[in-house]
Amino acid sequence: MSLTLYLGCVIRTVHPEVEKAVKETLSRIGVSFVEQPEASCCAPCWFFSLSREAWLRLNERNMRLLNSTVVTACDDCFASLSDAFTILAERKSVKPPEVKPFQALLLERLREVKPRLGFTGLRCAVQHSCRFLRSSGRSLDNPEDPKIVKSVLEMLGFLPVSYERELDCCGGFVSDEKISGEMARLKAGSAEEAGADCIVATCSHCMLRLNPVSRIPVLHLAQLSAFSLGSDPVQIGFPETLRRRMVKR
Amino acid sequence: MIETLRSKGAGNPLKCIQCGSCTSTCPVNLIRDGFNPRRIVGSIARFNRIPDQDPWLCSTCSLCSERCPQGVNPFSIIMALREVLYENNGEAPASILKMVEQVKETGLAFPFTPGSVEKRRLLGLPEAGVSSEGLREIRRILSEAGFK
Repeated sequence: MSLTLYLGCVIRTVHPEVEKAVKETLSRIGVSFVEQPEASCCAPCWFFSLSREAWLRLNERNMRLLNSTVVTACDDCFASLSDAFTILAERKSVKPPEVKPFQALLLERLREVKPRLGFTGLRCAVQHSCRFLRSSGRSLDNPEDPKIVKSVLEMLGFLPVSYERELDCCGGFVSDEKISGEMARLKAGSAEEAGADCIVATCSHCMLRLNPVSRIPVLHLAQLSAFSLGSDPVQIGFPETLRRRMVKR
Repeated sequence: MIETLRSKGAGNPLKCIQCGSCTSTCPVNLIRDGFNPRRIVGSIARFNRIPDQDPWLCSTCSLCSERCPQGVNPFSIIMALREVLYENNGEAPASILKMVEQVKETGLAFPFTPGSVEKRRLLGLPEAGVSSEGLREIRRILSEAGFK
């Protein structure tokens, strides 16, 4: 299986440890990939709401560069690329490149590979990103009862926990910091109250929003998958405090 | 107004029956009740005018569109409204305009910092970034789309 890996902006510039974790995970589940450093920002909702034309044209350029199946590690990128590619392909009456989010690919491959896992435990509260769940046409999961990330966590030996504000937005794109911060605090607090050891996200903007307000660690799913599949925890930014809570199989 | 919004990908506000499903499900409205998607759509549908509410308070979660029984897609209307306001008056939050500038500079919305560059090196990750030829193309696209 060969794919083009599209990491987006935040993971490369703010969270290189997540980039490492994504790449380690893909290698360990037998996925070979190429990268396209010439691809630009996917111009997500904050951008397309300034100029739909600029959003489409930037992604027309990206579509030209990313000409095989694309795997994204951030749900904002997943939504923006797949929406833009669909519109652009319709205009040209061609088939758009497939855009696949990391969690969906991971679920597929884990079902096939059935890897041997080293650890078990750790209660995880999933931050289901709005971009992954909603917007008709490209939804891969049930927006009212999402299962994909939870299934991946279970297959990796983690314990997903349900919590009251599980389906709420993190507030990451609200322009008013007071409202945005309040939404994030309510969300992170609800995860902690439910007894979670960490919050698990698949969107880098959710990570940016929740990290400063959460009292429990906020990790990308790739950091958990890479750890579970045997990667060096230091390189992938898997916290020591969480490692101590896990049980060796 | 309605036609302008529709040309920017907005759903049809005239289908709205003002049931309030959008507002009752809006996570921003729960914290600040002044932000009201039902009124935004209503103001456009009934009076064909720009509503007196800040569309940048929208969290872009799309729950309003997911739960709208009429298929109005309030999210798309709010996004198109932002574009109209930006075109008319250059109105947009400074943090957003800063990210556009960053895309013009590097092709990415966030900058590499000395810390992240060093971290990438220590982790054995490749140098990342768009070439100068690629940047010229990105700047041309943004300029032609109206970004100064």
